[in-house]
Amino acid sequence: MNIKRIRPVVIKEFRQIRRDKRSLGVLLVFPALLVLLIGYALNFDVKHISLAVFNQDMSPTSREFVRSFSNSEYFDFTYTVERYEEISALLDQEKALVAAVIPPDFSSDLLAGRNATVQVLIDGSNSNTATTAIGYINAVVQTYSGNVATTALARYGKEPYVPVSLQPRVWYNPELLSAKFLVPGLIGFILMLSAVVSTSLSVVREKERGTMDQMMVSRLQTAEIILGKTISYLFIALVASVLVLLIGYVFFDIAIRGSFFWLYVAILIFLIAALGQGLLISTVAQTQQVAFIISVFTTLLPSLILSGFIFPIRSMPWALQLLSNLSPPKFFLIALRDIILKGVGPSAFWDQLVYLSIFAAVTLGISSVRLLRKAE
Amino acid sequence: MKTIYHIVVKEFIQFRRDRRMMMLSFVAPVLQLIILGYAATTDVKDIPMAVYNQDKSATSREYIRGFATSGYFIIEHEVQSLAEIDPLIEHGRVWMALVIPPDFSDNLLARRPASVQIIADGSDANSAGISLSYASQITAKYSRDIVAETFERTPQAMRPAMVNAETRVWYNPDLKSRNFMVPGVLAMVLMIITMTLTSLGVVKEKEIGTLEQLLVTPIKPYQLIIGKLLPFAIIGVVDVILVLVVTRWWFGVPLRGSVLLLFGMSGLFLLTTLGLGLFISTVSKTQQQAMMTAQFLFFMPFIYLSGFTFPIENMPQGIQYLTFGIPLRYYIVIIRGLFLEGVGVAELWLQGAALIAFGGAILTMAVMRFKKRMG
Amino acid sequence: MTDDAIEVRNLTKKFGGFTAVDKVSFTVKRGEIFGFLGANGAGKSTTIRMLTGLLEPTGGAATVGGFDLKTQTDLLKKNIGYMSQRFSLYEDMTVEENVAFFGGVYGLPKQRVQERMKWVLAMAGLEGREKSLTKTLSGGWKQRLALGTAVLHEPTIVFLDEPTSGVDPVSRRKFWELINQLSEQGITVLVTTHYLDEAEYCNNIILINAGRLIAGGSPKELKTQHITYPILDVDADDVVAALETLRTQSWVVEISLFGTYLHVGVRDERQGTQLIRSTLASRGIAVKRVERIVPSLEDVFLHLLEQDTKRRGA
Repeated sequence: MNIKRIRPVVIKEFRQIRRDKRSLGVLLVFPALLVLLIGYALNFDVKHISLAVFNQDMSPTSREFVRSFSNSEYFDFTYTVERYEEISALLDQEKALVAAVIPPDFSSDLLAGRNATVQVLIDGSNSNTATTAIGYINAVVQTYSGNVATTALARYGKEPYVPVSLQPRVWYNPELLSAKFLVPGLIGFILMLSAVVSTSLSVVREKERGTMDQMMVSRLQTAEIILGKTISYLFIALVASVLVLLIGYVFFDIAIRGSFFWLYVAILIFLIAALGQGLLISTVAQTQQVAFIISVFTTLLPSLILSGFIFPIRSMPWALQLLSNLSPPKFFLIALRDIILKGVGPSAFWDQLVYLSIFAAVTLGISSVRLLRKAE
Repeated sequence: MKTIYHIVVKEFIQFRRDRRMMMLSFVAPVLQLIILGYAATTDVKDIPMAVYNQDKSATSREYIRGFATSGYFIIEHEVQSLAEIDPLIEHGRVWMALVIPPDFSDNLLARRPASVQIIADGSDANSAGISLSYASQITAKYSRDIVAETFERTPQAMRPAMVNAETRVWYNPDLKSRNFMVPGVLAMVLMIITMTLTSLGVVKEKEIGTLEQLLVTPIKPYQLIIGKLLPFAIIGVVDVILVLVVTRWWFGVPLRGSVLLLFGMSGLFLLTTLGLGLFISTVSKTQQQAMMTAQFLFFMPFIYLSGFTFPIENMPQGIQYLTFGIPLRYYIVIIRGLFLEGVGVAELWLQGAALIAFGGAILTMAVMRFKKRMG
Repeated sequence: MTDDAIEVRNLTKKFGGFTAVDKVSFTVKRGEIFGFLGANGAGKSTTIRMLTGLLEPTGGAATVGGFDLKTQTDLLKKNIGYMSQRFSLYEDMTVEENVAFFGGVYGLPKQRVQERMKWVLAMAGLEGREKSLTKTLSGGWKQRLALGTAVLHEPTIVFLDEPTSGVDPVSRRKFWELINQLSEQGITVLVTTHYLDEAEYCNNIILINAGRLIAGGSPKELKTQHITYPILDVDADDVVAALETLRTQSWVVEISLFGTYLHVGVRDERQGTQLIRSTLASRGIAVKRVERIVPSLEDVFLHLLEQDTKRRGA
C-alpha cells in the first residue's frame, strides 16, 4: 500500500466525476432536494376523512349526532345519501372512506333510555388509515355517549364519572411530527443508494471498458485503485449528508440534539459499510447493467421497507427480522434517531455501530479477496 | 416489419446470452415481492413497554393485564423507580412506559378519578402514535367496564342510554395491511425492472458504439424504437404474470376484479414505464448517467409520492398536483382497487386514461428526441 | 451519372462556437481509394460522420453515390457502408449472428444473407469460427469481420474511419490487401488514417488541418509538388544533439527527427552534405552517413502542416 499512488487515482476519479456535471449534481444536490420535497410531502397524519351519512332518522337528535363528527377536525362531512345502495357506490369510487348509517328509531330509542346502534362502514383497503379512522369514530361516539349519559345522570342528580384517565407524555417529538422521524430515515435511505450505486458502477465501468486491466499491474495496486475510488465517493457522500442535515435544520427545525462528533462517526461507518456492499456487488457483476440492477434491488426498496424506516421491524415475521440484519440502514437509522432526535450518548447506540463495522469488514473482506484473486 | 423483427431477434439473442441479466429480470422481482411483501406491514404489535406500578394492588394489576393480553404490548420491564425509565427509553429497550400512581386503587375504590401517566418514545412518530391510540383504547375499555359495573347496581330505569358504533370493514375485513401493501410492492417492483432495462437498452448501444453502426443503416427511427421496446415489453408482460401469480397465490390476496382488466391496465402501465425508460435513454450519454437519472429523478420521488405508504390526501396541495405526473400513482390505485375492492371499468377508466395520456406523451417525447439525435 | 462517387462542396460543421469542419470541398472518383489524412481532432471523423448521415452539416452540400446528402438520406444509406474506429459489432453475439443481423436490417433476402455470409467468412478468414462470440476474436479478425459486415449489402461506397488503429502491423497489411480487393471490384473506398505509410496505398489523398483542407492530390503529386529542395537523410551518433545543432543553422530549410535519423532540407545537395558533415564534426558528433532521399509523405505533410500553422499565425 502506498499513499502516494492512491493520490493520482483519487484525483483522476474527481476529474471524471467533475466532468460529468449531471452525475455530480445528482450525487450532491439531489439528495438535499429530495429531502426537502419528501419532508414536506409525507406524513402519516390521518385527517379530513371523507364521511358519507345515511340518516334515516332526521330528528334534531340525530342531526346533532352527525354534527359531532363534522365538528371534529378528522372528518369531512361530504355526502348525504338517501338510499343504502348509494353508500357502496361512494366507497367503491373512493369518494368516501367512512359511511355512517343512522337507524330510523335512533332518537326515539335514546329518549326512551334504550341503547341505539349506529352502523359504520369503512373502506379497509388501507388498513393503516382504516385503523386510525376506527379509533376516531369510537372517540366521537364515546364523547357523544358521555354527553347523553351526563344529561341522563343529571336528571337523577348524579355526577358523570370517568374512572381512569390517561395522561400521555411524548418524548423527543411531542407533536409526533412525521417529518422529524422521516428525515433521519431519508438520510440513511439516500446515502445508502448513492453510495452503493456509485461505487459498484464506477468499478464495473472500468472493468467493462478494460481500463481496469490497464491499471492493474500488481495485486497491491488493485487495493490502491479501489481505495482511491472509494475515498472519492466517500467524500461526495459526506458532503451530500451535510447538505441534507442543513436542509433538515433550516426547513424542518430538526436540530441535532446529540454530538456532532458521534453523528459523523456514525455516518462514516455507515458509508464504509455501504461502500463495502457496493464493492461486493462490483465483484459479482460483469456489466454495469447487472451491477445497477443488483444495487437497486438490494438498496432501493429494502432501505425503505426492510430497514425499520417506515415499517416496524418488530411486526415482521421472524425470518424477515433476521434478514433485516443484512440491511445496513437498519442499524444506522437507530443510531441516527438516537443522536439527532434523542440526543443520547454512544452508550445507547454503540452496538449499532459495532454491527455496521462488522458488516463493513465482512463485505470489504470478501470483495478484496475476490478482487485480488482475479488480479493474479 | 422485417427490420423490426430482426432487431427483436437480436435483442433476444443478447438477452439470452447474459444469463445473469436474464435471471435478474425474472427472479429479482419475484424474490423482492415475496420478501418485501412480508416486511411491508404497518401493523404495530409486540410493542415493548415498561411498567412502574407504585400501587401494587389487585386493581392496578388487572389494569396492567389489559395491556399484556391485548396482543399489542409486551411488558418487558417492571421497574421500581422513575429514574429507571429514562435509560430504557433512551436505549430503545422499550417504546413506552406506564406509570401507575400509588393511590390508583384507593381513588377507584372511592369513586375518585385516577390518572395514569404514559411516556412514549416519539422518535418513531408513526409507531408512537399507534401505540398511544392502543393504550387509550385499553384504558377507555377498562373505564367503561368500571362504569358498567357501577350501573349494574342501579335500577334499569336510571341507567343512561348509550350509543354504540357497530363498525363493519369492507374490502379488507381483517384490516390486514399485507393485502394493502403487497399490490403496492408489486407495482413498484414492476416499475423498477422494466424502467431499468429500457433506460439502459439504447444508451448501452450508444456507449459501446453499435448505435452508430445501426444509424448508418437504412433503419428508420420508429423501427429501431419499436424493435428495442418490444422485447422489454415482452419481458415486462412475463414479469407482470409472475408477480400477479405471487400476489394472488403466495400471499393469498383476493382478486375481486376482472383478470382481463387487470392485464389490460398492467399493459397500459408498462407503456408508461417503457416510455420513461426510453426517454431516459435518449437524454443520457452513458449508462451511468442513465442509471443515476432513473434512480434519483424517477424511482425515489415516484416511490414516495405515489401513495404507496404515504396517503396523497395528506400532502400539501402543490405536491398533490405534482403526483398527477406520476404514473405509479394511477397504477397503485388501479391494482389496489382491482384486488381488494373488485371495482370495474366505471371506477377505473379515469386512471386508465391518465396512463394512456402519460404513456403517449412520454413515448412521443422520447421518439422526437431520438429522431433529432439521429437526424 | 458522373464519374464522381462523392462530391463535397463547402461542407461545414459547427459545434456551438467551435468550427470542426470549415468549408471543405473535394471529389472522390468512382472506384478509387481515397485517403483522408490529418492529426487527431483535425475534423476527419466529423466529415465522415456528415457524409454517412450521422451528423447534420451546418453548411455546404454533398452528394454521395449520386444521392443528395440532405434530401435523399434513405437512398444514400442503402448505398454506403461504414466502419468506425471502434469495433462496433455486438460482442455478445456470434460471428454468424452479427452478419445475419446486419444482413437483415439492410433488407437482404435470407438466401442472399447466406451467400454473403460465406463471402464475409472467407474474406475475414473466419471459416470454422462462425459460432464464436466476437468478443473472443483478436483485433485483426474483429477488424476484418467489421469490414466484411460494412460491405455485406454490397454498397458502392464504403467509409472507413481509422480502421487500423490499434492493430498489429501484419493485420494492417492484410487489411489493406482487402481494401485493394474492394477497390478492384469497383467499390469506392474513403479511408481516414494517421498512418502515413498507409496513405501511400491511396490513389488520392487530402490533408486536413484544424478543420480546413490544406492539400490534395495523388501521393506522387504531393511528394513532388510541395517540396522543391533536396532532403538529406543523416545518420549521426547523438541525434538529439545533432538536431539541436543543425536547427539554428541559416542554411537549413527544414529539419525533423525520423526515428534515429534526421531529415534535413537544404538549398543544395552537395553544399548541404558538406556543411552538415563539417558542422557536426566541429561539435564532436560523428556522422556515419548523409544521403539524398526522395521525400516521404511524412516529410511532405510535416512541411505542409508547418506552413499552414505559420500562415494561420500570420
